[in-house]
Amino acid sequence: MGSQYNDENIRVLIADDDEYILQAYRDAFADTESTQAMRALDELAAELFDTTDSDDDEPHFDVVACSQGDDAISLAEKAANEGHPFDVVILDVRMPPGIDGVETGCRIRELDPDVEIVFVTGFSDVPLEELQRRVPPPLKLHYFNKPLSFSRLAQDVASMVREH
Amino acid sequence: MAAFIVGVFFILRAVITPAFEELELEAAHTDLIRADQAIQTDIDNLMAVSLDWGPWDDIYEYVAGRNLGFQRSNLVRPTLTNLGLDMMAVYELGGRLKWSQLLHEGEERPLADLRLLEADSPAVHLLNAHANADSATVGIVDTALGPMIISSQPILRSDYSGPVAGALVMAQFLDEARLGRLRERTEVDLTLMLAEDYVIEGERGLSDIAVGELPVRVSDEAVTNCVVLADILGNPYLLVSSKTPREITSLGQQTVSAALLFLAAAGALLVIILWWFMKGTIIRPIETLTDHMNKIRKSGDLSDNLNLNSDDEIGLLAGQYDKLNSEVHETRAALLHQSFKAGKADTAAEVLHNIRNALTPMINGLERVGKAFKVGDGLHVKEAVEQLSDPESDPEKAGKYVQYLGASFDRLEAVHSEARDDLNTVASQARQVEAILADQEKFTNVAPISENLVVDEVVEEAALVIPKDSPTEIDVDVADELNNYRVRAHRVGLLQVLSNLILNAYESILRAETKEGRISLSASETVIDDTEMVQLTVRDNGTGFEEDVRNKVFQRGFTSKDEGDTTGLGLHWCANAVASMGGRIFADSQGEGQGAEFHVLLPAAQGG
Repeated sequence: MGSQYNDENIRVLIADDDEYILQAYRDAFADTESTQAMRALDELAAELFDTTDSDDDEPHFDVVACSQGDDAISLAEKAANEGHPFDVVILDVRMPPGIDGVETGCRIRELDPDVEIVFVTGFSDVPLEELQRRVPPPLKLHYFNKPLSFSRLAQDVASMVREH
Repeated sequence: MAAFIVGVFFILRAVITPAFEELELEAAHTDLIRADQAIQTDIDNLMAVSLDWGPWDDIYEYVAGRNLGFQRSNLVRPTLTNLGLDMMAVYELGGRLKWSQLLHEGEERPLADLRLLEADSPAVHLLNAHANADSATVGIVDTALGPMIISSQPILRSDYSGPVAGALVMAQFLDEARLGRLRERTEVDLTLMLAEDYVIEGERGLSDIAVGELPVRVSDEAVTNCVVLADILGNPYLLVSSKTPREITSLGQQTVSAALLFLAAAGALLVIILWWFMKGTIIRPIETLTDHMNKIRKSGDLSDNLNLNSDDEIGLLAGQYDKLNSEVHETRAALLHQSFKAGKADTAAEVLHNIRNALTPMINGLERVGKAFKVGDGLHVKEAVEQLSDPESDPEKAGKYVQYLGASFDRLEAVHSEARDDLNTVASQARQVEAILADQEKFTNVAPISENLVVDEVVEEAALVIPKDSPTEIDVDVADELNNYRVRAHRVGLLQVLSNLILNAYESILRAETKEGRISLSASETVIDDTEMVQLTVRDNGTGFEEDVRNKVFQRGFTSKDEGDTTGLGLHWCANAVASMGGRIFADSQGEGQGAEFHVLLPAAQGG
């Protein structure tokens, strides 16, 4: 997923140990992608009913997903080395049996000081102040509690990238 | 103790007994010396008598043949008897016998019977003739009738002038009579034996015996010392033995035995005194301490103190143990409480995490399903159908309308398929939530940790539930006897139950608008189904309730409070909690406005 680089797309790395949640991420961040059949349908509608394509302003994402912190670090390092670093990294805090999301965020922050890091967790023993201390700067650190709407998260992610 | 006595026994045997033996040998040697000296004294006495008679003018004249009356008046048997002599003989110059008398066993015997002063006798020339005034012979001689002590003096004038006129011989038998007198005088068991008869172990003969003392012989009964005396010729002749009974050694042994007996008795007495002392000051307190520790080990009740009142080291140890015990008790209680809370927190965090994780795909799935329903809104299916149905529509576009309808249905079908998948995900996650809740339900069946609790500690903590800013003055009376009762229960559970009951009583008092609210807490013992129980009672003077309510107060959802004030779960929860601790709960009231009593029955703590 997202192996083809498109400079206009927002590159997102997601790490969560729950496969259902990963799938929900994929579905939410792929919502705005248009399939060939959908584009053909839109073209026909524009021709027959004089409609315009309202999807032009929707953000588009290149999503890479994994289930462990170590994998996320490897993927972030590989992308940075290839000159296509991720714009946003979304991390679950608890990802047993490997390292947790906070440690993963620390390591990725060392690799890429500019990446936006988003923590999404069902429950965290780590207070927000400690997260901000361990994964600075605070302006590039974001925190969301599950459950949440990933389509809304996708919009927030797009906003983060546009603002910076 | 036995080893000590045996050790002392050997020490005494090694030190005391040899000392007594040495003392005994010295005493035996002294006996021999006294015996020897006694014989010598007899010889000296005999010599003194002969010296009285030898230098005497009367006998001088008599032996010279001039004083013939001397024999009639002096040389008679009474003279021998008075002088204690057994033999007396007067020799003229040249050795010719002038007069003699021999008494043996009370009878007069010829002098020749002695076979001493015969011409061929080796000692005769020492006895019957003296060359000068200084010549004399004194000592012991061997005779045919037995050993004799003998003294031969030259006969001189009374002024010891000469020339020597003859020889005066006096002798005494060393017979049993004399030995008896010697024994009486010396108190020594002495015997005489001819040296030639003396043989030691059959290997020594007369030739091996020299004049002087012989080796000491020691037997179990006596110590025998011997000295060989020489006759007047200087030859070993007479053996004098002193036999000393081993009374000193026997006394020493008796002394050692008595000392050991005394030591053993003293030791036994000392052991008894020490045992009695140690039992009172050390053993009994340590037994008490040990029993207490075993009791605590069995019951696990750390709240029970030893309270051993004593100022010695054991008392201090017991005091320190009580202090340590109390600290461990408090620490364990705090740990249990903390552990319980930490366990609850961990469980809550885990449940929160898992449920929120499960809810996330559900929410997003439902959101996508919602969007799917809106897909149709963006399609122009109705317009396309209308165009196809309109005979005036452009026929060239009819194919594209059909194509659009087909694409629209394909789109709807795709969305429908995605929505079905999303709903499956939602259902799956719902089941996940259900599984999480089922897991939690299992934990509710795990019995909480029970411990022995002192009732008043829990009650006092529970009473803190009453607000300090209460609009009504509440008098809380905690009975003193509560500290006498211990129950087996889960601390936090019992605390919450009592807090609930006290809060319930408090709220009942507020509803009754009583001016002087009163909540009393008491306890008593009872036995139910052969089980010792403690009954805790919370009594209030609040609203109370009627008879028909009694059995409903613990039902789920029942409340006597105003609607909306409560969920009606408090007393129901209390009933379940008490039941889980192996107890019972019941309520009583005399009716509306009469106050109420809530009784909690819990198993009494094991081991007091």
